[in-house]
Amino acid sequence: MTRALFQVIFAKILLLTMTILVRKALISDPHSSFNNTVQDVLIVDNIITDIATNINTSADDVIEHEGMILSPGWIDIFSDFADPGQEQKETLETGAASAIAGGFTRVMVVPNTNPTVDSKSTVEYIIQKSQSLPVHILPLGAVTKSAQGKELAEMYDMKKSGAVAFSDGIVSVQSSGLLMKALQYVKTFNGTVIQLPDDKNMSSHGLMNEGITSTRLGLPGIPALAEELMIKRDIDLVRYTESKIHFTGISTANSIELIRQAKAEGLQVSCSVTPYHLFFSEEDLLSYDTNLKVSPPLRTKADVKALQQAVLNGDVDCIATHHFPQHWDNKVCEFEYAKNGMIGLQTAFSLINTALPDLKNEQLAELFSTNASKLFQLKCGAIEKGAAAELTLFSRNQSYVFTKENNKSKSSNSPLINKELSGKVIGTINKGKLFLNN
Amino acid sequence: MKLSTKHLLGIKDLTKEDIQLILSTAANFKDVLQRPVKKVPSLRDVTIVNLFFENSTRTRISFELAEKRLSADTLNFTASASSVSKGETLLDTVNNILSMKVDMVVMRHSASGAPHFLAQHIPAAIVNAGDGINEHPTQGLLDAFSMQERTGKLEGLKVAIIGDIMHSRVAMSNIYLLKKMGAEVTVVGPPTLIPKHIKEAFDVNVTYNLKEALQWCDVANVLRIQLERQNQPLFSSLREYNLAYGISRKLLDEVGRDIVIMHPGPINRGVELDSDVADSNNSIILNQVENGVAVRMAVLYLLANREN
Repeated sequence: MTRALFQVIFAKILLLTMTILVRKALISDPHSSFNNTVQDVLIVDNIITDIATNINTSADDVIEHEGMILSPGWIDIFSDFADPGQEQKETLETGAASAIAGGFTRVMVVPNTNPTVDSKSTVEYIIQKSQSLPVHILPLGAVTKSAQGKELAEMYDMKKSGAVAFSDGIVSVQSSGLLMKALQYVKTFNGTVIQLPDDKNMSSHGLMNEGITSTRLGLPGIPALAEELMIKRDIDLVRYTESKIHFTGISTANSIELIRQAKAEGLQVSCSVTPYHLFFSEEDLLSYDTNLKVSPPLRTKADVKALQQAVLNGDVDCIATHHFPQHWDNKVCEFEYAKNGMIGLQTAFSLINTALPDLKNEQLAELFSTNASKLFQLKCGAIEKGAAAELTLFSRNQSYVFTKENNKSKSSNSPLINKELSGKVIGTINKGKLFLNN
Repeated sequence: MKLSTKHLLGIKDLTKEDIQLILSTAANFKDVLQRPVKKVPSLRDVTIVNLFFENSTRTRISFELAEKRLSADTLNFTASASSVSKGETLLDTVNNILSMKVDMVVMRHSASGAPHFLAQHIPAAIVNAGDGINEHPTQGLLDAFSMQERTGKLEGLKVAIIGDIMHSRVAMSNIYLLKKMGAEVTVVGPPTLIPKHIKEAFDVNVTYNLKEALQWCDVANVLRIQLERQNQPLFSSLREYNLAYGISRKLLDEVGRDIVIMHPGPINRGVELDSDVADSNNSIILNQVENGVAVRMAVLYLLANREN
C-alpha cells in the first residue's frame, strides 16, 4: 500500500480533512523540481502530500481535465474590493468569489476605501473579515493619511498588522518630497512602495490617451508624458534613497524603456501591467464605451505592441488585474462623467492568453504568481511535497463565454460580458478546498 | 434620397453625399423662408423635444424656429428648470420624456459623446446640437452652406479657422466637413489652444501666425474664446489675446485681400473680432444665423425620412 493511501486513511480517521487528487496535470512552476512534467498531485487538508506520475488512491475530490496545467496559486497585486465604504460596488466576499473564479489565491487590495486603509485598525478589519473567505486578501496600506498625499501614514504599525506593501492606490503620491520620505521610511521594515504613475498636474482634465484618436473624438487627452515623467522622477528618488518601488499599470512604450534601464542599472525597480493594456488600444474607444474608460488610459496600438513584447521578454514582473468595480450608474452615463476602471479578476487569464498566445507556461506562472511572491515576500511555496497547496488549474485552449450569470463580482463593468474568451480557469485549490468553475 | 445615418451625431459619420443632400435640401427650405407664408406642413405629425443641458440662445431659437416652420410639435427642456438639478441621470430624463411619445430629440450637452451614449439606448432619432468639445454638426453645415453661398464653392476653398481650436466643437465640425468636401483648412491660434495632434488627426495646416493665415485664406472663420471650457489658464489675458490674435480693420488692410469673415457667435467684440470687422461688408455673420434655420429644417426633415 502506498504512503499516500496511508495518509488518506489517517486523514479520514481524524474526520477533519479534505483530500483532493489532481490527475494528469502539466506542472508549470519554474521553482519546482516537477516543472514541465505531467503528474498526479495529492492534497490532504491544505498540504501537497504527494506528487507522482500515478497516485492510486481515492479522494473526496478528483479532478481530471484534458490539457490541464497546474500553476502555483495566482496573486493579484492591485484590486479594489471597495470594502469598507462602497459595498454597493463590491464587498470582500464578492471580490473573493470573483478572484477564486479567476484562479487567484491571493489578492492585494488598494487602500482607496472609505475609510482609507491608512491605520492598523483598517488593516485588521480587512484581515479579520477575510479569514473565512476562499482567497487570502492582503491589504495595501496607504502611504499617506487618507491617501491625500500630505502626511505619512503609520506604515510601520500597518506592516506589523499585516499590510503587505504601501501605496496611495489610484491617486499615487504626487509630491516629490513626500515620496522621498516614504521611500526612506519603508526601509525600516524592508517595505515596498507601489505607484500608479500619473502626474495629476498634467492629466487631471483628460479623459483618454492624448493623440490622434482623442483629437478625432473631441475628448480631452492625457499625455503619455504624465506617466513617463512620474516614472522618471520616481526612479531618481529610488536611486537617491536606495529604496524599492513597484510601478503598476504601466501603459506606454517609453515607460517600459525607462524601467528596463533602471533595472539594468541595478536599481530595485519592478513593474506590472494590466491584462487590458495588453489587449485593448485607444482605438477601441471610438464608440465612447465607458467600460473602456480606465486609468491609466488605453494607449496606442504601438504601445500595446511594446507592452506585449516586454511581457514576452521578461521585462514585466507581474500581471496586475486592476479589478475596479463600478456601480452601473457610474458607467451607464456620459463618457465624461463615467468613473474609471473595469472588473478584471475573472477575465485576466483569458485576456493574457488571447493577447499573448506565445507566452510559455513557465512565464505565465512567473507573471501571475512567483514574481509577485518574491517581490512582496509572500513566501508562497513551490509545487513540492510538503508545501502548502495554493494552486491554480487552467487550460490554455478551452474557450468559454463570460456572462452576467457567471460573473461573480457585484459589478458588471466589463467590456467582455457576452464575449467568447479563449483560455479557461478550471479551478482553484486554496485553504484546503477545491473551487471548480463550470 | 435618404441620409445614410439615422441620427445626426456628428459630421464625422456623414458621407459626402449626405452633406450635399443636406445642403441642397437647405437651399430649398431657404426659398420657402423667403415666401410670405414661411411654413410647410411636412412634420405636422412629429413631436420634437429640444433638450438643452447647456446654455444656448441662438442654437435653441434656431432649432425651435426650424421645427415650427416644419409644423412639428415642439417642447423645450432646459437643465436648470428640470429634474437634472435633482440628480436624475441623462438616460432616465430622456426615457421619461420619450414615454410621452416624442419622435425626435435635439440635444445640447456639455459632455463629448453624450448624444452617442443616448443613441445606444433610445429608439428616437437624435440631432446633436453640440456636445462638449466634440462636434456641433448643424453649425458645421450652416457654415458650409454660407461659405458656398458667398463664394460659390467648397472644393478648393481655403478656410482659416482662428482662435480657440482646442475647446471648439464648431472647429471640429467645420474641419470634418470641409475636408470631406475638398476644401483646404488651416487652423491658427496660440499653441496652448491648438490640440497637439490636430495635424495628423485631420490633415490640416497649423500656424501660430494670424497674418500668415489671413494672407493665405479665402474665408476666415473666427471662433469665440471659450473661457468657460478652460480648466486652466491657457493665455495670459484677453488683452494680450487680442494683440496677437484679434482681427482688426488695420490688420485686414495690411493683408490687402478680400476675405470673407465668419463667426459662430456670440462675438466677444474687441477680443477675437473688432466691431468694424464684424459689421463690415466682408462679414457674413448674420447670413450664417439666417441660414441656420434652413439648414436645421433640412436636417430634421431628412431625419424624419420624409419623401418629397
